[in-house]
Amino acid sequence: MSFTEIVFYAFSAIMVVAALGVISARNPVHSALSLVLTFFATAAIWMLLEAEFLAITLVLVYVGAVMVLFLFVVMMLDINITQMRAGFMRFLPFGILVALILAVQMILVVGPANFGLDVAGFASPVEHAADYSNTKELGRVLYTDYVFPFEIAAVILLVAIVAAISLTMRRRPQTKYQTPGKQVMVKKEDRLRIIKMQTEEKQ
Amino acid sequence: MIESMMSFVMPIWEWLPMWIQVLVTNVFFIVIIMVPLMLSVAYVTYAERKIIGYMQVRIGPNRVGPRGWLQPIADAVKLMFKEIIIPTNSNRFLFLFAPMLSMGPALAAWAVIPFADNIQLADVNAGLLYILAMTSMGVYGVIIAGWASNSKYAMLGALRSAAQVVAYEIAMGFALVGVLMAGGSLNLGDIIDKQAGGFFNWFWLPLLPLMVVYFISGVAETNRAPFDVAEGESEIVAGFHVDYSGMAFAVFFLAEYANIIMIAALTSLLFFGGWMSPFGSYADVPLLGNGFHWFVIKTMFFIYMFLWIRATFPRYRYDQIMRLGWKVFIPVTIVWIFVEAVMAVMQIGPWAV
Amino acid sequence: MLENYLPVLIFMCVGLITGLVMILLGGFILAPRKPNAEKNSPYECGFEAFEDARLKFDIRYYLVAILFIIFDLEIAFLFPWAIVLEDIGIFGITAMGIFLGILVIGFIYEWKKGALEWE
Repeated sequence: MSFTEIVFYAFSAIMVVAALGVISARNPVHSALSLVLTFFATAAIWMLLEAEFLAITLVLVYVGAVMVLFLFVVMMLDINITQMRAGFMRFLPFGILVALILAVQMILVVGPANFGLDVAGFASPVEHAADYSNTKELGRVLYTDYVFPFEIAAVILLVAIVAAISLTMRRRPQTKYQTPGKQVMVKKEDRLRIIKMQTEEKQ
Repeated sequence: MIESMMSFVMPIWEWLPMWIQVLVTNVFFIVIIMVPLMLSVAYVTYAERKIIGYMQVRIGPNRVGPRGWLQPIADAVKLMFKEIIIPTNSNRFLFLFAPMLSMGPALAAWAVIPFADNIQLADVNAGLLYILAMTSMGVYGVIIAGWASNSKYAMLGALRSAAQVVAYEIAMGFALVGVLMAGGSLNLGDIIDKQAGGFFNWFWLPLLPLMVVYFISGVAETNRAPFDVAEGESEIVAGFHVDYSGMAFAVFFLAEYANIIMIAALTSLLFFGGWMSPFGSYADVPLLGNGFHWFVIKTMFFIYMFLWIRATFPRYRYDQIMRLGWKVFIPVTIVWIFVEAVMAVMQIGPWAV
Repeated sequence: MLENYLPVLIFMCVGLITGLVMILLGGFILAPRKPNAEKNSPYECGFEAFEDARLKFDIRYYLVAILFIIFDLEIAFLFPWAIVLEDIGIFGITAMGIFLGILVIGFIYEWKKGALEWE
């Protein structure tokens, strides 16, 4: 077994164990952290596929941003764990059924045959020299050949911005905002009034 | 003597399996990076107390050793022998895990820093992206610490810090895009090579607004004054690490200072030519020419800036911090990226690629 | 390419192990451990905490986190663009111009809606 294979199996094992941890941990924060570990192991495996840009972006976007939101949510929503776990056995068969259907669908859709790959065994990616820049290759096609999907991504992100704001914006009427522009523009004359008054006599 | 030792050691070394050899060499180099880093962290704390002391017309630490030079060592020894108090209501595992989470990324980011020409532990292509990913992971230590302590101050500190770090990370990312456009590569070594030719060829000149945005965002990212609402003493005691004591606190402290040195080093690498000499025409002369010492001098200067800023400015209010991050820095960086892109394509001025 | 990432992986492990060793060394080997109820109570101003510290907080923090994800993705799209700018020229700039233009509309929207306001 070559060293790369050892690394591959090590990270795959970490990934599977961490993914199981996500669904089995009792504490929601623990399962969120397991998910972080899962993403991390996935990034390492992508790295083995020589997709360095995607691997690091996975860490940057999912671990660095998405999971922070997840942690915010699971930490602060008072989730009643016992209530959540009630009826676990009752729904288990149904859950397994759904999981099976999902698994079958995914195998059908993302199976190797759909991408023209050899079904008998995946070909490992061509090894590149040390100065090969995966990011440059990606950039050259992303903004030219795939420019329409790229612009559609912008529209999807715009929809996400609008949706996030319209779902979560609640302006409480009694809150008072400061307008920094006004604060800066304030002059002495607006605030300060100098009154002439007589000196008081000493008694 | 040395030869006889070598002749004794070499056969054993060659007898070891390949992977142990690789591991040992790598760990050896990592130790070479980490030990000076730890020492710098210790002496940055000393420098901070001393410099801010003089700025405030007092002396600063001067009791331990001559002129207080042994102060950081004494601090470290003291922290080592202090009990780590684990609060009753806290989540034990996460409480102890949080400091490690902030330490790991803070150190790991140093793997790709080029210290001098071709002196670099890992010469990876996506170096800058890797550093951005590592710095974005630093926020976990803070959030987990705040939650695991189960104390209101810690929780509030963690929340404030997370929202602030997140806002400035975007400004930082946009500023880095400008650097990438000028450098044409994600590889830190290539970015420095592009800045060859002396003081006026460094990127600070064409990217001046981005440099300012980057450095200020760096100050905000590391939760330093004047952006230190996460640990505003007068409001929430010490923020996310109120409940930490002894070595657990020390690890947070080390991570914070390692991050400060990191930001200073990155500013010097990305905008001030790293190990390039400011006198372009003397590039091959020793001492005046390129070399590791220039990198150290520039990094020290930016660390000094951190301390100077801390001594000068009063703390921002939280809404001012968020306003600066979202409403000032992001528009500035977006506009400058546009200006730079158009200039680069039209081949105008210093922006011409 | 992969061999360049091996030191990075080892460095990450060493970083985590350093943190672990420091805490073990400091907390469980060198330092004393004499817990008592008062010492281990969470930090409060001298009285017992009234309630659990894990309180619900302002929804604004979620909004900031969501907006952060979106902008982070934008940065992820900008990175490869910035380094291939020479190769893709005017076409690339126009493509990114449209992309950023759409997102600047979103940014203006959130600004005008007051999503970036903190009191």
